[in-house]
Amino acid sequence: MLGECEVSKKKEILTKEYKKAYLKLSNGMKFEGSSIGANVNVSGEMVFNTGMLGYSEAMTDPSYLGQILVFSFCLIGNYGIPYFKNKNFFMSKGHESSSIKTQGIIVSDIYDGYHHHDSGISLENWMKDQGVPGIAGIDTRYLVQIIRDNGNLFGRIISKNATQQNKNKFKFLKNFGNSEYVDPSKYNLMPSVSTTKKMIMGNGSKKIVVIDCGAKWNILRMLVERNCEVELLPWDSDFSEVKCDGWLISNGPGDPKNTDDLVERIKKHVLASGKPVLGICLGHQLLSLASGAKTKRLNHGHRSHNQPVFSIPDKKAYMTSQNHRYAVEKSSIQSGWELWFENANDDSVEGIKHKTKPFMSVQFHPEASSGPNDTSWIMNKFVGLL
Amino acid sequence: MPILDFLLPKNEKKQKVVLLGSGALSIGQAGEFDYSGSQAVKALEEEGLEVIIINPNIASVQTNKGLNKKVYLYPITPFWVEKIIKIEWPAAIISSFGGQTSLNCVIELSKKGILDKYNVKVLGTQVNALEMSENRDLFAKKMKSISAPIAKSHAVSTVDEALKTAEKIGYPVITRSAFALGGLGSGLARTATELRKLTQAALMSSPQLLIEKSLHGWKEIEYEVMRDKTGNTITICNMENFDPMGIHTGDSIVIAPCQTINNVENNMLRDTSIKIAQNLGIVGECNVQYALNPRDYSFYVIEINARLSRSSALASKATGYPIAYIAAKIVIGFDLLELKNPVTGTTSAFYEPSLDYVTLKVPRWDLNKFSGVSKNLGTQMKSVGEVMAIGRNFCEVVQKALRMVNENEDGITANVFKDASDEILERELLIPTNLRIFAIYEAFRRGKTLKYVYEETKIDYWFLSHVLYLANVEMELLDFFKPKVKRDNVTVQEIYDSYKMITKEKLQRLKSRGFSDFQLTKIYLSACLDSKIKLTIREMRSLSFGVRKLRKKLRILPVVKQIDTTSSEYPTKSNYLYLTYDGMCSDDVSTKKNEKSIITLGSGSYRIGSSLEFDWCSVMTSSYFKNKKNDSVIINCNPETVSTDYSASDRLYFEELSFERVLDIVDIENPKGVIACMGGQNPNNLIQPLSEARVNILGHDQKSVDKAEDREKFSAMLDKLGIDQPEWISAISIADIEKFIKKVKFPVLIRPSFVLSGTLMNVANDQESLDYYLSLTKNISTDFPVVISKFILDAKEIECDGIAKNGEVILSLISEHIENAGVHSGDATMVFPAQKIYVHTINIIRDIVREIAKDLNLNGPFNIQFIAKDNDVKVIECNARASRSFPFISKVSGINLVELACKVMNGEKIKKILIDESEIPYVGVKASMFSFQRLDGADPVVGVEMASTGEVGCLGKRFNHALLLSMESTQIKRPKKGILLSTGREKDKVKFMEVMDSLYKLSVPIYATKGSAKYLGSRGYEVNAVHWNRCPRAIDVITDGKVDFVININKSLSVDELHNNSEIRKIAVKCGCSILTNLEKVIAYLRACDSYEELQNIETCISL
Repeated sequence: MLGECEVSKKKEILTKEYKKAYLKLSNGMKFEGSSIGANVNVSGEMVFNTGMLGYSEAMTDPSYLGQILVFSFCLIGNYGIPYFKNKNFFMSKGHESSSIKTQGIIVSDIYDGYHHHDSGISLENWMKDQGVPGIAGIDTRYLVQIIRDNGNLFGRIISKNATQQNKNKFKFLKNFGNSEYVDPSKYNLMPSVSTTKKMIMGNGSKKIVVIDCGAKWNILRMLVERNCEVELLPWDSDFSEVKCDGWLISNGPGDPKNTDDLVERIKKHVLASGKPVLGICLGHQLLSLASGAKTKRLNHGHRSHNQPVFSIPDKKAYMTSQNHRYAVEKSSIQSGWELWFENANDDSVEGIKHKTKPFMSVQFHPEASSGPNDTSWIMNKFVGLL
Repeated sequence: MPILDFLLPKNEKKQKVVLLGSGALSIGQAGEFDYSGSQAVKALEEEGLEVIIINPNIASVQTNKGLNKKVYLYPITPFWVEKIIKIEWPAAIISSFGGQTSLNCVIELSKKGILDKYNVKVLGTQVNALEMSENRDLFAKKMKSISAPIAKSHAVSTVDEALKTAEKIGYPVITRSAFALGGLGSGLARTATELRKLTQAALMSSPQLLIEKSLHGWKEIEYEVMRDKTGNTITICNMENFDPMGIHTGDSIVIAPCQTINNVENNMLRDTSIKIAQNLGIVGECNVQYALNPRDYSFYVIEINARLSRSSALASKATGYPIAYIAAKIVIGFDLLELKNPVTGTTSAFYEPSLDYVTLKVPRWDLNKFSGVSKNLGTQMKSVGEVMAIGRNFCEVVQKALRMVNENEDGITANVFKDASDEILERELLIPTNLRIFAIYEAFRRGKTLKYVYEETKIDYWFLSHVLYLANVEMELLDFFKPKVKRDNVTVQEIYDSYKMITKEKLQRLKSRGFSDFQLTKIYLSACLDSKIKLTIREMRSLSFGVRKLRKKLRILPVVKQIDTTSSEYPTKSNYLYLTYDGMCSDDVSTKKNEKSIITLGSGSYRIGSSLEFDWCSVMTSSYFKNKKNDSVIINCNPETVSTDYSASDRLYFEELSFERVLDIVDIENPKGVIACMGGQNPNNLIQPLSEARVNILGHDQKSVDKAEDREKFSAMLDKLGIDQPEWISAISIADIEKFIKKVKFPVLIRPSFVLSGTLMNVANDQESLDYYLSLTKNISTDFPVVISKFILDAKEIECDGIAKNGEVILSLISEHIENAGVHSGDATMVFPAQKIYVHTINIIRDIVREIAKDLNLNGPFNIQFIAKDNDVKVIECNARASRSFPFISKVSGINLVELACKVMNGEKIKKILIDESEIPYVGVKASMFSFQRLDGADPVVGVEMASTGEVGCLGKRFNHALLLSMESTQIKRPKKGILLSTGREKDKVKFMEVMDSLYKLSVPIYATKGSAKYLGSRGYEVNAVHWNRCPRAIDVITDGKVDFVININKSLSVDELHNNSEIRKIAVKCGCSILTNLEKVIAYLRACDSYEELQNIETCISL
């Protein structure tokens, strides 16, 4: 825990006082650490990510909405936050949405400088700006084991004289009080992360509609780079009127079944259109539900940059970036559809595709960011189908 | 079946696979290849293959006898490999586990058509890809074709070409040589003059050079890549150098995983690594090195190694992923999806480990051992070993690593530059040496800013700010404890009370930032104790119990964490452990057995004087107990070793071999006992403090060790027993020395009290050299006595290795040196069974051994060294521990000395072993490998200071055969072009005449320096005379390539004489000549050359 300003004052250990913060868990455990970022009390679902880099991408990933993210890697913040001076930084690299989506973060050690050529603010100051709290000085390896072994675990970040979280920040926050454990997946999180108005990006001969369930910017960037016109639609738009060459159902937070009538509308309008469809992460789960398959809640899910998957037809293996708790049940895959990718560690479903129609979906993130780019070819394949 | 067709058993007989080792350890090619080779053997044996090992490195674990394994201790050259292929008819050969040596050998075998001739397939990456990775021009073309950026560079083969190229791309430029390990022949040239000098030398040993633009200040980053035959590819680990481009990665402090790059940079480099592996057709493992611009996203591919490397060993230890083991499975046909991650046992081997800790590698240099060597670091590797620290923050690992590598318990707070001027400090920052990290620390202590240090060093701010933090913490503590008046006495209680004042929370934080109890004590002492009072390490250790007691009272204890490759995503039973204070709770580490554990202390960093052989001893010890009821635990911190392979023990603590840390682990393990006599002098030094802390030490009693090591006590014992020893005194004044020399006469041997590998040891032949050597030591006083002993000329040196139980010798084996006494036993050429000792002498020695063992009450392994002249035997020293020669003696005799020692230490029943050494069916010769070629400026002469970096041991039916093989294995190659002679003293010249006929039989031109030529002429041998100052000059015949073998014998051991011929020797080394400087070794070698053809024509080869 050090930064240039602190260092110059030579307040390191003996004279430096840390502001204490506590992590209370729904299983009764309590951890003490020092408060970082904003001095705000928050509540959320406990999740961990074992990626060693990419904290800015993870924290802005809308799929983490409502969650307190534990970084298992011990040193976070080393390269600061990518270029940030201009408030109008739409789709700038290193960010996957316009704000931090995690409720808070838990780290072992945070670095409070920023020396990387591409960074403009330290992690801590960025969190302060965004009103997001965190705790440093926690044994994250131990905490990860607790989350892993307990399955459903919820937590609260609490510190003295802290303010309460701004309830207007996300719509779902209105659902709960200040001092309770909250399972965000009990709520429909779509209204909190989806765009409220249609947006158009890029230009090209092919038009792709992205159903925004909390889409990561890199999905949009990659489509634009591949010369597509991208129309980002609110999750609750009327799909019946949409004219396009293909559909992309984006990633997003929460339980795929808790999305109002979205699954029905996908079935009715998206699949019925017969146009190529790609589902990513939550989009994969939504597409699977629309196809008649079932989803289940995993013990602690997959959140890392090193999930090994392989494609069933050719046994090609890929390292993938993932962030999900729900998964498709293998036995529920409907006839007409086939298993496309499988996880090499736990055999879970990583992708399905239609046997005859251009419908496909993947549980992992071909857009990576953060994480490995091994499966970016799926974006090429999808665009090639249009 | 995943295994390749031609490897399947034929007619129910196992197929054979040849695995080449890397030979003797040298700078740039060290113990890491024993680790990777040993893992490969395990992987191959599991799949029903018989492994044929060719490697003369007798101290390696991979050259142990095995059920499905045959070991040939032969030079790794196409000639000998072909011969063995002809005997064994293997189905395949593996090139990638024995470093550059084995890779070059396989390329040559393939080019010569030998592999085709015997239908031997190359497993893994194919030869054309290997060549592409090695030939820089081809490599550059390939990189261009797949648009992987490479720095502007040009392959040149003449000096003129080099100069022209540099002109084009602009200075400064760096040169690299093709087909060389560890950056040999590499360097930085700022001007044409520098470049000319550099290329002239480099082109002597390599036909091709690469000239590149210098990327000084760029980040240096590496990726370890694994690819299977189906094309599935992963990157196991990335690593970042603390020192930016410009310092060889082997000489750089390295952190894994990368810390200062972001997600975009990581995946950009990862993608490129995978693309390179795909396009080169790598099957197995490869390593890609990058230079990354710290100012934008541009980068260059620097080089790739299409084989296991030092970095891959480091990456294995850093991540827990057994790279070599998996790579071996891949080269015989498995793909990654078929294999399981051995750490979890349940998840896929197609996996990129996730770490929740950081590791830091720090190299170990022994540059003080080589007079004249520049301490500056550059693109040529100079380090001889390394350590790796594991922790949960950078401060913790940098502190741990610096304590591990120097074993002085001081770490970064060692005050190396405390008394240095600002100018010296600035130069250290700007021109890096092996001590730069200490200079950075001192600069911060003096209030220098981050920006200042960054500008001087170009080390990333992230690293520097942590060093600054530590410096500030020390200053803060000094300030906090600063008393009104300094005291002349400090007690344990005072230290306890003082640290109590700073509160539990803050003490915990200090510990989590890596401060040891010893460091905290020392900081307190330097704040409070009168600077005139000097405490010994032992006194400071006892005082540090103040901190330890307080910590235990406050429950500030290190926690045990597992290395599991998954960051806890999956539960594991991993037995690969480290300790940290930056954590709240220990992992659930299972202990498998009901019996108490036995802890074996490893050897720590390899260094001159303690190397692979002690790792072999540690591994043998641990395996012995692993196969028994006891839980076998290893503590070691050297990533190059087999002992730090988690499969070598039941539990591995990758930790400091410090008093504090061993005690911590003893507290956690509550073991049956600790074995400290197998890892060389480093762990042996812990016996005294550990015994005092009431830790049960297995083996020799602490009193025995003390009596053997304390010169006074040992000498008194010899006197009591009536055993002769060279006369000596422990002088505390110059007058003492003068009186002594008057009595015994020159020459005398000078050494300080605590000796490891003869540090600062020297032989003085006359008053002048005595004065010179004394000027190198601290002022003589009661605190710093100097030991002077009579140096006996023309005496044989003999060693006895053995095992004793309760003072009774169970086994003793006697070996002799070829060189006369005066060459450090670690550098000498050793023969076992002894060939040229009188039976009478042997009887005397056996008597002495019995008496010493009895009086010391030895209870474990020992080594006693003697000198003998005629039948007059004197004892030089006794090591109450396993010695360097244990693996050699064990393998030649067929009796595993370590196993015997384990039985003794474990209190098992054991009978006295009688062995007739003359019954051993062959002769073993152990020879030393020197790395002078990498140490610019070092004088390649052997003496009482140990200088070798490795060794080999070869077997022969005859002594001559074994000697020739061991010489060839240590790069003493039979002359092909010419010989340059300089035959020393008159007496030596006479002696040398014995082998003149053998020399002539070599049928190459003979050149001799003036005096030698004149003498030979007078005896009827016409040779070409060369001169120092006029033509034909001695130097020229070397640089012109007219000679490739230099025999250069010192006239005397005086300072002047040593310097006189040193220029010839240095140039000979630089130009890649074979060089011998010891008369007895020269004579033995030239005599053996008579048997050269006989040896070559023998149809069979000896295998273990």
